[in-house]
Amino acid sequence: MSNYYIEGIAPQAVHTPRNADELAAMLQQATADGASVVPWGGGTRQHLGNAPTRYNLALRTAHLNRTIEYHPEDLVITVEAGVRLDDLQDRLAQNGQWLPWAPPSASAASIGGLLASGASGPLRLGYGIPRDWVLALRVALGDGRIVKSGARVVKNVAGYDSHKLHIGALGTLGVILEATFKTLPLPECKHSVLTAYSKPLNILQALEQLRAAPLNPVSLVALNRTTAERLPSLQGFMHDQPDHLIIVARFAGVSAAVNRQIREAVIRGIDAGASCVDLDEHNEALFWRDIANFSAPLDDGALMLRLGAPSSQLLDQSRLLEPIMRNYGWPVARMVYAGVGLSFVRWYLPADPDPDEATAALAEVRSAMAAIKGYAVVEDAPAALRRTLDIWGPPPSAASLMRSLKAQWDPAGILNPGRYVV
Amino acid sequence: MPGSCSQLIAALVEVLGERGVLHRPEELMLYEYDGSSLDQALPQIVTVPATTDEVAAVVRITVAHGRPVVARGAGTGLSGGSVAESGGVVISLARMNTIIAIDPHNRTAVVQAGAVNLTLSEQAADYGLHFAPDPSSQRSCTIGGNAATNAGGPYCLKYGVMTNHVLAATVVLSDGSIAHLGSLAPDEPGYDLLGVMVGNEGTLGIITEVTVRLLPISEDVQTFLAIYDDLDQASASVSAIIAAGIIPTAMEMLAGRGIAAVEESVHAGYPADARAVLLIEIDGLREELKTWARLIVEICRRMGAREVQVANDPAQRARLWAGRKGALAACARIAPRYHIQDGVVPRSRLPEALRFTETVADRYDLTIVNIFHAGDGNLHPLLLFDLRTPGILERAVAASEEILRMCVDVGGTISGEHGIGIEKRAYLHWMFTADDLAAFRQLRTVFDPTGLLNPTKLIPLHESYAKTSFAQSVGQTTMLDRLM
Repeated sequence: MSNYYIEGIAPQAVHTPRNADELAAMLQQATADGASVVPWGGGTRQHLGNAPTRYNLALRTAHLNRTIEYHPEDLVITVEAGVRLDDLQDRLAQNGQWLPWAPPSASAASIGGLLASGASGPLRLGYGIPRDWVLALRVALGDGRIVKSGARVVKNVAGYDSHKLHIGALGTLGVILEATFKTLPLPECKHSVLTAYSKPLNILQALEQLRAAPLNPVSLVALNRTTAERLPSLQGFMHDQPDHLIIVARFAGVSAAVNRQIREAVIRGIDAGASCVDLDEHNEALFWRDIANFSAPLDDGALMLRLGAPSSQLLDQSRLLEPIMRNYGWPVARMVYAGVGLSFVRWYLPADPDPDEATAALAEVRSAMAAIKGYAVVEDAPAALRRTLDIWGPPPSAASLMRSLKAQWDPAGILNPGRYVV
Repeated sequence: MPGSCSQLIAALVEVLGERGVLHRPEELMLYEYDGSSLDQALPQIVTVPATTDEVAAVVRITVAHGRPVVARGAGTGLSGGSVAESGGVVISLARMNTIIAIDPHNRTAVVQAGAVNLTLSEQAADYGLHFAPDPSSQRSCTIGGNAATNAGGPYCLKYGVMTNHVLAATVVLSDGSIAHLGSLAPDEPGYDLLGVMVGNEGTLGIITEVTVRLLPISEDVQTFLAIYDDLDQASASVSAIIAAGIIPTAMEMLAGRGIAAVEESVHAGYPADARAVLLIEIDGLREELKTWARLIVEICRRMGAREVQVANDPAQRARLWAGRKGALAACARIAPRYHIQDGVVPRSRLPEALRFTETVADRYDLTIVNIFHAGDGNLHPLLLFDLRTPGILERAVAASEEILRMCVDVGGTISGEHGIGIEKRAYLHWMFTADDLAAFRQLRTVFDPTGLLNPTKLIPLHESYAKTSFAQSVGQTTMLDRLM
C-alpha cells in the first residue's frame, strides 16, 4: 500500500483490474459512488501535479500488458497501456524498429502513464513527440464508457483526434487502455559529439551552428557545468576544465551520413573555440539515458522546473533567468533541449528551505518566462515545499473549454481530482 | 426564432460593408459546390471578412439570427465539407491570405487562413525552408482549409500530415469569442485543444490564423519511376522498401487503365501496356541517398519491375512527377466526371485491396483508376462516369461504398486525408461504436453549444443527417429551394 502514497496520502484501496472491461466497470462504479481515482501505471510520474484533493482508489493498469496487434511490415503496433516502454522497445527491436521516444525511467514506466503525463525526451528534436506518432487510443472515460478515436493505419481523418486530448492530461479525462503507434525503422547507427566551451559565448549561436545544414541532429542538448558534474556518464570526460557550457549533438541514420555530420560538427565546434569529444556507441547510450533521467525525480532536494518558451528566445531566457538565479545564490543545474524550446532546471535549495523565499523565487522565474511568451511548471520539489508552491502557474487561456470538456467525460470529477491545471 | 434574411444581411453589411456580403443568386452560385462536385447547396449569404475580428462579428451576428455558419477556404475540398447543406452564411476566408511572418530562427511561419499552400513554400524557400504538407490542390487550396481538414499529400509518408505541422491557431468560436490554441512554447499545461481543432472541418471553430512548422530543404533529392506488368509486384515493392528501413518522402502509385490515359495526355514516358507505375522520391543527405538509391533500384528489380528510371536533376524529376500530377486531369479523357475516394488500408493489405477495387469495377461496370499514396496505404480510387448514363451515379455510389467498407474490414479507415464532410458521415458507424460517436458529439457540443457551426458535417448533431451520404443529398437541395 505504501507504494501508492502520494505526498504522504494513502488510498483507501488499490485495485488491479484483470482487463480493460473490468477497469472500465470500476470507473463506472467509482462515478456512481463519487469515489476518487488515481490511475496508476508504472508509478514513475506520480510526482507531477498537485496532491489529489481526494484519494479513494489507486487503479493499476499492470495487468493490461498485452500486445494487441503488431504488423511489422505496416510499421504499426497496438499495445495495452500497462506495457513497459522498454519491453515494447525490445519487441520492436527484434524487427529492426523502434519508437523514437526516450522519456525518463523507460524501464519502469508504462506506456499509458508516459502518454498521460506527456513524457518526452531528447529525441523530440529529430522525431517529434508521442502526439505525432500515436495513431489511436482506446480510453475508459471517467464515467466508465470505453471509447476510441483514430485508426490503426498511418493516416486517418475519420472522427475527431480526441486521443490527443488524453496525451498530457494526467489521466483527468479518462484512463488510457490501449495505444496504437506508428513505429520507425531503427537507424543504422547513432553517434554523438560533445563540445565543451571554456569561455562565455552566445549559446544560441553555438546551438544554431550545430543544427545548420547539412547538420540535422536528432538530439541537441546544452548543459551547464553543474549539470554535467551530476551526470555519471560524463565523469570520464569532465577532467578539471572550467567549462562554461557543454553541448552534445546526436546524429542518427545511415553511417556515412552520420560520420560526415560528426566531422562537420567537430570542425564547427573547434572553430568556435570548443574542445570536442567523440562519444562512442557505448558511452553515448549511457549519456542519453542520463539525460532522459535527469528530468525524473532524483530525491536530491532540488526544485525541478520545466521551462517552455519559443526556441529562438533562448538567449533572452538566459539573460532574464541568470540574474534571478545568481541573486538567490542556490546552485542551478540547467539542461536545454535546443531547437525545441524546452529546458529543465534543477534548483538546489538549502536544506529546510524557507517556503516564502521559494515561492518568491518561483514567481520571479514565472514572470521572466511570461515576458518571453513562455511558462514554468514545477515538476518536482522537496516535500516541505510541495504544498506551498503553485505547481502549474496561471490557468490556460482556454480553461473554460477545458473545464466543460472535463465535465462531459468525467462528470463526477473522480479522476485525479485537484492534480492537474483543469 | 431565426430572424429574417434581410435583417441578417443588413446586420452583416453594417460590419463588413456592401463589398463583404454577397447575397444575389448569381454571386451565391460560385459557392454552391466544393471540389467533390456531387454535393451542392446554395448558401443564403456569403461573407468575405478581412480580419479575425470581422469573422468573429459574422459568427456572432449569424448565430444570433439562428442560422448555420459554414467556413470555406478555396473550396477544393473533396467531401462536401464547405457546402452549405442546410443553408445559412458561408464565411469565405479568401481575403485573409497574408503570410504574416516567416521566422527562420524558430523555423515557423504565421499565416492567415486564406493563404495558398504553395505560396507559403515558395516564400519559405528564401530561407532554405519549406512547408511539408502538399495536397494535390496546393496551387489553390488554403492553409486554413488544410488545417480544418487535416490535409495530407504525397510527402506525408515521411513528414506527416497537417496535424504534425500546426503549432498554434487563432480560432473563432460559436459565441463569437476568439481563442488562441497551441503555442510556440512546447508542452504548455492544459488539454491539447489544438489537436482536435486540426481536422475539425469547421464544426468546432473557425480557424483564422495558424502558426506552422517549416522544415529545412534537404541537401539532395532523388526520384525513381518503376514500371510493372503486375500490380502485386508493385505493391510488394512498396512493402519491401519500407521493410529495408527506408522511409521515402513519397511513394505514389498509378494502376490500371489510368496509365494509358495519363500517357496520352502528359507524355510522362509510361508504357501504355504497363499495369502499375510506382513513383518513389527520397530526400536527405547525399550519403543517405546513395545508400537508399542502390537498395530501391535493387528491390524494384527483384520484385519484377520491367524498368526503373532514375531522375537526378530537377527537370528529370519534374518529368517523372508530371504523370502523377496530371493524372486527375488526364482521366477526363476517359469520362467527363469522376468521384474520388480516400480510404486507407494497412500497407501490407494493398495487393488484395487493389484487386478488390478491380472486381468492384467489373461488377458495377465502372471504370476505376487507382492513383494513390501507396506508401501510406491511402487509396484514391477514381470512379469515372458520364452523368448522362442512366443509373450511373447510383452505381458509382454503391461501388465506392463497397470499397470503403473493405478498407474498414481489413483494419483501415474511410478517409485518410479528404475528410468526412457530407459524403462519408453515414459510414462512420462502421469504424466507431455508438459510445465513440456520442463522445465525439459531446466534444462538439463543448466547443459549439449552439450547434450552428457547419451543423450537418463530420459528426452530425442530428441523426437524420448521420444517415445520409452524398448520394441522398444530391438533387435534394436545388437552387430554387434556397433562393429567398
